[in-house]
Amino acid sequence: MTAVIDQVTSALLEVRDLEVEFDTYGGTVRAVRGVSFEVHAGKTLAIVGESGCGKSVTVQSIMGLIPSPPGRIVGGTAKLRGKEIVDGVTADGEIVRGSRIGMIFQDPMTSLNPTMTIGDQIAETLQVHRGFSHSQALRLAVELLEMTRINEPSRRARQYPFEFSGGMLQRSMIAMAIACRPSILIADEPTTALDVTIQSQILDLLRDLQQENNMAIVLITHDLGVVARMADEVAVMYAGEFLETGTADDIFYNSAHPYTVGLRAAMPTNRDESEQDLMPIDGSPPDLFAPPPGCAYFARCPHAMEACRNDPPPGFAVGSGHMTRCWLHHADCSRRIEDLHYAAAAPLEGRDA
Amino acid sequence: MILYTIKRLIQGVITVWFIATATFFAMHGVPGDPLMTDKAMSEEVRKNLDAHYGFDQPKWKQYGIYIGHMVQGDFGISFAQENRRVNDILWEHFPVSAFLGILAITFAGLGGILFGALTARYRNRMPDIVIMFLVILGISVPSFVFAALGQLALVKLNAFFGTSILPVAGWGTLSHMIAPSLVLGLGTMAFLTRLMRSSMLEIVSSDYVRTARSKGLPTTRIFLRHELRNAILPVVTVLGPSIAAITTGGFVVELVFAIPGLGRYFVQAVQQLDYTVIMGTTVFYGAFLVFMVIVVDLLYGLIDPRVRLE
Repeated sequence: MTAVIDQVTSALLEVRDLEVEFDTYGGTVRAVRGVSFEVHAGKTLAIVGESGCGKSVTVQSIMGLIPSPPGRIVGGTAKLRGKEIVDGVTADGEIVRGSRIGMIFQDPMTSLNPTMTIGDQIAETLQVHRGFSHSQALRLAVELLEMTRINEPSRRARQYPFEFSGGMLQRSMIAMAIACRPSILIADEPTTALDVTIQSQILDLLRDLQQENNMAIVLITHDLGVVARMADEVAVMYAGEFLETGTADDIFYNSAHPYTVGLRAAMPTNRDESEQDLMPIDGSPPDLFAPPPGCAYFARCPHAMEACRNDPPPGFAVGSGHMTRCWLHHADCSRRIEDLHYAAAAPLEGRDA
Repeated sequence: MILYTIKRLIQGVITVWFIATATFFAMHGVPGDPLMTDKAMSEEVRKNLDAHYGFDQPKWKQYGIYIGHMVQGDFGISFAQENRRVNDILWEHFPVSAFLGILAITFAGLGGILFGALTARYRNRMPDIVIMFLVILGISVPSFVFAALGQLALVKLNAFFGTSILPVAGWGTLSHMIAPSLVLGLGTMAFLTRLMRSSMLEIVSSDYVRTARSKGLPTTRIFLRHELRNAILPVVTVLGPSIAAITTGGFVVELVFAIPGLGRYFVQAVQQLDYTVIMGTTVFYGAFLVFMVIVVDLLYGLIDPRVRLE
């Protein structure tokens, strides 16, 4: 019991049973349906899943960035160092958004204000949260640009976003997000809009900054290659739920959910000897206007059983810190998860394990 | 920037020359000439005029003479009004029109930005619905109707208070200018409101406003620095053409409000085929508009760093 308490208090960010809904003309979309996770200092949590599964909504609701209406947080709590966050501010008035938690986005080309200099945009955060004067903040902005390895930072700080390349813009976004030395950086698909060379550089940069500042990173992506390279812990998200959570090694080499196994099998490789075709997951995610009563993955799962149709699977512990929502792990189930590992045996690129 | 300005000014001169040429030939396409009035004219006078303007010579020679005079800044003497040089008419009445126009465009611009931002903020709520209804009225009702209605309203208002709150017509003091410039700017303001609203709505849901919010900035700062500044860019773009719309609309409003502006002379001159006054006012207005459009373009360069030119 004491071990559990220790674990809870050591978590930097603790999210419990988060539920988010959106009111639309077509009805209420249940975008996030009871998600729980923890983020630890200096570690990277990757949230993976396909488009529309609720990854971004999860982190944006923690930051208080969900437009409301139509969005609303229906249940759950988010605590930063044990203090609950509501609308980007902790219970005792500490501003979390931009100060304790920084955030970077998918498309750096459109994520910066086109009519403001890069330096001013970085400085702005410092002026607001740290009360710096404009010139003070600007000087620090130049240092931050240097930290994110932008050449000639003082000249660059006076330039506008249209004068920057995509990679440089993302570096500036990172500089902006870490300006107030946040303990957590949320990276919402930070490399999706960038080419692979730049992607690699940005990921290196994030890694280095994380080590220098003991910063936690919440990485949202649908790229398993990025996950393999960056993540300490992984949460596999599907239709607004976490189907499997665990360490990166657990997820990749000991996948416990048919969806995770399917994702692994669907990954292309560039090895010559591989004659295998891509193995897609048939079907499409369920309609979140009316989520299925049982397992969300039921309709697409090659191992679906009768129990999966109407009974939502609870979280089964498959190992220390490794959880999955799948009836296959129930003690009474005759089938074993080992049968699922038909394609996941190959080592994964980018991960040295 | 300086090079660009010079380039634009040269283009402007060419545009004005086109306007002058087109007006000249269009005007001469109208049957008759200004000297064929019912007033008997002595042979001597006729000859003098012919010698000065070259009426007895072929069109292209007349054109040459005319352009020659114009380049020297001499628009000639009115044919219809006694003893008045066109330059004097311009000098005397243009400032009135220009002042009215500038007041109207200021009012339209500020009102458009304000109401546009307001309707976007209260999207699909009461202020939005009411203002957008008025905007449709403002766009579709011509300014002379508003002018008449405005005057009527002022008459009633003054009668109600038993004293003159705002003068119904005339020119001279600032209080004379309020009603006509409001009427004149109304259509453009409605148009700008609609433009500002859609541009604001687009920007409110843009990625960089989301970034600004993720930085934890206060709402007012986000509004002023990230939303408003970017939202007014399209408004500034159409400001140039709007000046044209307002100045031409000014002709009518000036007549209704009995303002001694240039518009009245222009209309009169066309009716009387007063060659020199038509030419003078058209070319002068043309030049003014071209100049204003250049000014707006340069202004745009100051607001939007992406079009800052070498």
